[in-house]
Amino acid sequence: MYPAEIKEYHKPDSVEQVLELIANHEEGESLLLAGGQSAMQAIKSRMLRPQCIIDLQGLQELKTINDESETLKIGAMVRYCELVKSSSLNNNFTGLKDAAAHVGDRQVRNRGTIGGSVCWNYAAACTPTAVLALDGNMHLISSDGEIKVICADDFFLGPLDTAKSESDILISVSFKKSKTRSGSAYKKWGLVKDALPVVGIAAFVKLDSNGSCCEARIALTGMGVGAQRAAAGETPLLGSYGDPQSIEAATENICANIDAPTDLSATSDYRHQLIRSIGAEVILTAFKRAST
Amino acid sequence: MKNIKLTVNGEKFEEQIDNRLLLVDFLRDNLSLTGTHVGCTYEGVCGACTIHLDGDAVKSCMLLAVQADGHNVTTIEGLSADGGLTNLQQAFNDEHGLQCGYCTPGILMNMADFLTENPNPSEEQIRHGLIGNLCRCTGYVHIVRAVKKAAKMLKDSAHEDRT
Repeated sequence: MYPAEIKEYHKPDSVEQVLELIANHEEGESLLLAGGQSAMQAIKSRMLRPQCIIDLQGLQELKTINDESETLKIGAMVRYCELVKSSSLNNNFTGLKDAAAHVGDRQVRNRGTIGGSVCWNYAAACTPTAVLALDGNMHLISSDGEIKVICADDFFLGPLDTAKSESDILISVSFKKSKTRSGSAYKKWGLVKDALPVVGIAAFVKLDSNGSCCEARIALTGMGVGAQRAAAGETPLLGSYGDPQSIEAATENICANIDAPTDLSATSDYRHQLIRSIGAEVILTAFKRAST
Repeated sequence: MKNIKLTVNGEKFEEQIDNRLLLVDFLRDNLSLTGTHVGCTYEGVCGACTIHLDGDAVKSCMLLAVQADGHNVTTIEGLSADGGLTNLQQAFNDEHGLQCGYCTPGILMNMADFLTENPNPSEEQIRHGLIGNLCRCTGYVHIVRAVKKAAKMLKDSAHEDRT
């Protein structure tokens, strides 16, 4: 496992320079490198053979978390370890923290970024799942200067596939702050602790002034198709107070409507069982966090 | 080929290197700092090549050497500023936190960073912190014990410094 020849390496210090470099290369020649905790694996195994690497580590403007009045804007180059420590994620966005805290290992979290993870969109990845449940928006700039904002539902297209084109750079991931109480949670189960999820589930609930659920979003991963919405599980939660019957109806609905594969890690039945147990836990945690 | 300038263990280096050279091989082959080990043929799973990049524990097989241009790298050879044993190294010695020793440099580099962030770690936190380092000899019991002891030694020496 070793990289093939890499003809050019650039470390630009502005987004403009990145866009210029993208424009100056033919399609398929250049690769944007964020934290590299997935992309370097693909480069070493020669699944990717970029002629030109554009290292985004020099882009200081992409390394900040902006806690604005109505939105939380997370720069694409913010690392997992920084998400875990950020107090800006404490209230509505704890689900993203849950996900970031258990990605890989300490060394991976010290280097891997939110932007890298959502753009790579691995078949079993925690961050895209949490971003999908939290209804994140991806802010991109294209090499022709076009600014695009793509919501998570339209961004994640399948394993290793997103709506980002090769001429785009991801600038940030933003989340709308809820005006009423809301809460979120994420949990996964893997073959060993903090391994890739065999099943990972993220839940987001928004409560009205009476404490009943007026909006719910559930996303899961581990079914072989990348981060996916589980809308069937959302309906039973609407109007509920997070009681056990509603939560059970939600997880049963997810199981009835999802294509859970059997593979070397788990059988389809076992995945359904994981959806029931992890699903119930994350939905309840989201309700509890929204209530406090 | 690219010219890089970086600081390793406090010493400045300037070298002309291939873009595809991994940082771990640059450290081992170009600078002869062979304390940083390759345990998994660069697959990024064993943690034996863990070093500090600007103070953060990272796996040096997951970076190109050109990415370290302008940065500060510390390897196991530079963990102790005075050449003696750090508290962490002494604790591994006292508690026999190793058998064959192949994974030890990576574990020490990760745990040195871990202890600066978690000065009073629980056993669960230590075990969670060790996920990125594989040890195929010890079963981790002595390693966890050594990290716990190091945390206490660091706390005691900080206390002595104040009094």
